[in-house]
Amino acid sequence: MVLPQDWFDIDVSSLPMIKLLDDMEQKILSPLSCIHEHESKWILEFDLPLVDKKDINVYLDENNAMVIEAKLKEKYVDNHTTKHFEYEFFKKSIKLPNNVDKKNVVAHFSNGRLAIILPKIYKGNKIKIQ
Amino acid sequence: MSKAKISPKTDTILLLGFPGNGLIGTFTISYIISNLQMNLVGEINHPDLPPALFVENGEIISPIRIYKKDNLYAIMSDIPIYPDIEYEFVNSIVAYCMGQKISKVIVPSGIDTGTVDQKDVKTYGLATDASFDKLMYESDIPKFLSGTIIGTDATIITTFRNNGIPLLMLYTSCHPFFPDPQASIHAIQSLAKILKINVDTSDIQKRIDYLRIQHRSLMQETLEALQQQEKQLPTKVPPIYR
Repeated sequence: MVLPQDWFDIDVSSLPMIKLLDDMEQKILSPLSCIHEHESKWILEFDLPLVDKKDINVYLDENNAMVIEAKLKEKYVDNHTTKHFEYEFFKKSIKLPNNVDKKNVVAHFSNGRLAIILPKIYKGNKIKIQ
Repeated sequence: MSKAKISPKTDTILLLGFPGNGLIGTFTISYIISNLQMNLVGEINHPDLPPALFVENGEIISPIRIYKKDNLYAIMSDIPIYPDIEYEFVNSIVAYCMGQKISKVIVPSGIDTGTVDQKDVKTYGLATDASFDKLMYESDIPKFLSGTIIGTDATIITTFRNNGIPLLMLYTSCHPFFPDPQASIHAIQSLAKILKINVDTSDIQKRIDYLRIQHRSLMQETLEALQQQEKQLPTKVPPIYR
């Protein structure tokens, strides 16, 4: 297959996609996540069992994605196939909506669940009510 | 393994568990089956079910199975029930209940109550028949008073009610989008009270973190099935079963 020259600009969502989740070589698990929209904020949640708060690293990267990395308290061993895999980390990045007030993002960790509060920022012209 | 024993009673009861909010049904029924050492007595197959089988210790296992011990039956699905098959799935269980003279059906499930605090976890009962009222009262299970139920749960309630088979839905508050074995412990204890049996939950307590990791894929597949069910609804409904 010959790719067009500007192949890097095409919409990848139209291509057949193989979901890459857990990375066996790098010993990385992909955590479950969900996002809830509220009037004034978004709440982004990650399920991080087997993790201590001090071992979580959360940051916003240059592509406006929220990245979480966490080290497991102990190795997670997957024996469900004929092979035996060990995992030591969680890692995932989630592209954020455009209207996030990045300076006021806060995170809470409780019961192995990380909740990141993303306040919305409103831009535009005020409309006078007559 | 605990030494739980089913108390003698005249009712023949069916427990039904399938993946839904927080995977409460899956965790609860699989734990009860294992704890009571129930025997595998059958399988449910359907041409529209996803072509999947599990292999455990070299043994081939169907994703939807029937277990039995004394006068207690359990049907357990390890795959989400997609809208295409839910009507036939539920009707096949109704037919099975009639064949086995099942007098009561109990279905543990999860609800999103918007709280994630473990100390606020509660189990609510929604019954199609007044015969469950005394059982719920004796077991300290409050009634599910208001809300909207959609998807497989709604099909189950309607079908069993129409067929006159008494059904009790046990709704435990949980995180709807993540596997919630912690909330399932509450569901197991509530179910044990209803069944008047002793179930030691220390084993699931020890494995909570592992269960949450192990069940990520099933949770994701379940959410896809629930989203398909939501798409079929004419209007947006409150998030009771999402």
